[in-house]
Amino acid sequence: MTRPLQDRLAERGRALDELRRILIERLRVEREPDEIDPDVPLFGTGLGLDSVDAVELVISVEEAFQVRIPDDDRARRAMRTVNTLVDFVLAQRAEAA
Amino acid sequence: MSAGYRALRGSAALADGAHLHALRVAGPGAFELLDRACGRDLYLQSGRLLHGLALREDGTPLADLYLGADDDAFLLLAEGDRRQLLDHLELARPAGSTATVQDLGEEAGVLTLAGPYAWELLGEVLGPEVIGLPYLTFMQLGGVTCLRTGKTGEFGFDLLVPRAGLPGLRARLLEAGRAFDLAEATLDDLDQAALENWFFNVRREGAAGLTPLELQLQWRVSRRKVFTGSAALEARRRAGLRQRVTTALSPAPVKAGEALRHDGAAVGVVLNAGHCAPRGAWVALCLLDLALASPGVGLVAEGGAPLLTTSPPVLANRSLFVSPQRHAWATRARDTFPPLCEGADAPL
Repeated sequence: MTRPLQDRLAERGRALDELRRILIERLRVEREPDEIDPDVPLFGTGLGLDSVDAVELVISVEEAFQVRIPDDDRARRAMRTVNTLVDFVLAQRAEAA
Repeated sequence: MSAGYRALRGSAALADGAHLHALRVAGPGAFELLDRACGRDLYLQSGRLLHGLALREDGTPLADLYLGADDDAFLLLAEGDRRQLLDHLELARPAGSTATVQDLGEEAGVLTLAGPYAWELLGEVLGPEVIGLPYLTFMQLGGVTCLRTGKTGEFGFDLLVPRAGLPGLRARLLEAGRAFDLAEATLDDLDQAALENWFFNVRREGAAGLTPLELQLQWRVSRRKVFTGSAALEARRRAGLRQRVTTALSPAPVKAGEALRHDGAAVGVVLNAGHCAPRGAWVALCLLDLALASPGVGLVAEGGAPLLTTSPPVLANRSLFVSPQRHAWATRARDTFPPLCEGADAPL
């Protein structure tokens, strides 16, 4: 594995860990961190979050990652799974850098 | 792109639900039987559905289940081997239980309707009550049990219909569906849509001898109860997870069974693959070494196809943006929706 890929995967792993922490501590998902699979859906099925949770999730992610999640179609796509939300956060950070 | 797939992604598609098995479990000990047979914590409210899994003793999936509480009985809509599922339920029966497991296949059949405007078509045929049916709930309408389900990423309904009424309902849906550009979808169309939207397919990757840990299905199994397969899952956890399924895209054909390499080293295998027409790419479900089971990793398949791992779903489904309160099939031309995938204005 190349060094740039190692670095990218490590950064992604840190973001994934932070998001899992938010889900457990702020959204009260009753799972151990490694039980929250990266591609698990956030709403409806999967973790089963609801519209009230969505507000808390947006606030928590914006605060923890210092990004802004807009109230538009991009957010709807970003909030599908844990991994799509990590993708969004990493892309926002890269844009800001 | 088949007509069925096009309708599924753009309007509404009707499919035969012969791959689904409907069962009714009732009587003393019914809950305990299901609690042991299903890996998920069963918080069941009447009219609600849970998406669960039945596992074999070795922790591998035997059936993909929707479970619903229907007053004092339980409804199951299952995908998997019917005979094995019936045996599995019998083995899970608590001592002394007189619960009955009734296979509804003799008396009822299943029709599947899916697509961004499936709700509107079904509302015309069965009545407007169905339009607001929330995801993972079910209701009775004129003798039809209407389950708001779906494994395609689109609005989806599985309709449990008495055998005598099945041809009539099918004909009514086809007739009313003409105005919606309805087409009939095959099981292959449904499977392709499931693959693109990361819905577990018990007949494909489910047959690979993996457990919910590798399959990213941990949300469907509890760690707070004992159920068939739970001991094997705990043993697998203790041994440590080594591989995980991950989605990848390729501009070239990829097929299930192909070995995968990264930097020349063997790192995994393709479990399921198909052509994603709107993206003009092949989508593959890959089993990868854990260190590489993340989006953004380049791979090469045995046949030479380059792949890049990605976060599913691989489409921005139209159903994600269609709202029954604001949209209608008749206004689709002036309604604006994001493209199905970035950089491609899919001709649906």
